[in-house]
Amino acid sequence: MEERRYFQGAGGNQPLTALELVDPDRLSRFRYGIITWIDKDGFPFSVATDFLLSENGEILLKKPNTPQAMMGARIGVLFNHITGIPTGGYTDRRYMLVWGKVSEDKGFLKLHPEEISEWDEKILPFDKLCAAAVPQGKKYLESLQPSIDA
Amino acid sequence: MQAPSWVQDVFENYLICEFTSIDNGKPVTFPLLFFYDNNSAKFTVTSSILFSRKIEHMKKNPKVSLLFSNPEGSGVEKHVVLVQGVAKIEDSDLDHGWERYLPMWRKKEPYIDGFLAAREQFAWFWKRIVVEVEPKKILAWKNGDTSKAPEAISL
Repeated sequence: MEERRYFQGAGGNQPLTALELVDPDRLSRFRYGIITWIDKDGFPFSVATDFLLSENGEILLKKPNTPQAMMGARIGVLFNHITGIPTGGYTDRRYMLVWGKVSEDKGFLKLHPEEISEWDEKILPFDKLCAAAVPQGKKYLESLQPSIDA
Repeated sequence: MQAPSWVQDVFENYLICEFTSIDNGKPVTFPLLFFYDNNSAKFTVTSSILFSRKIEHMKKNPKVSLLFSNPEGSGVEKHVVLVQGVAKIEDSDLDHGWERYLPMWRKKEPYIDGFLAAREQFAWFWKRIVVEVEPKKILAWKNGDTSKAPEAISL
């Protein structure tokens, strides 16, 4: 699974609102989010937490209890969905990965989005996702070429 | 690994993990199918060359994490477990190196054989890189309640 749509804010002094990057209708179909940042030892640190959307479209994450501080760090928040199939496996895959920073807001962590990457197999079927990813596959094969030639 | 049974249940039954690599200091997280070897206590994911940006990240920085937060389809209760570890990339045999994980893959996705039958149609999807992760630290939130402090699991 990799990105279907990618968007990055222009940066500068004008921060984007959540609504300018994230479709609230699509986001509201996820049940929880996974916050990830880089901890003091240089490893990614992830934790799952509930979230809600305010009337203004703000993404408010419930504060998790973690031994590692995320305030001030650049974080990623993954919203992910699959539907398990009773006979095994899953379907209905979709995710939304939003990068940004968080600030304290009324007991929640308010997400300030800066970039987004998302995929929904009902919008872009998996075979078409694979076709779109061919340039990355070619690039990877080319990166191996020196060792193959050696 | 001296993990309690509820943590072992997560490793042995959850279908997917949320896998994070680091791209120039930025965490990049995707849902991935994983395989757990109870004997070595190591985790493995595989990646098509089509979706190999995360592999490029790991070649520059092997520090990764796997979060287990989604019990969907697994038949076990919800717990949340974080594994931080070091990734080792194996891409010397893209066509066959990953095939040793097929029995575990088939167990998680029984319909994978139908997809595999169309191997020529999806030739590059089946050129796959193996990533083995050696855990360095494990934290777990029983019953998935991340408002409480996590429990450190002994390696």
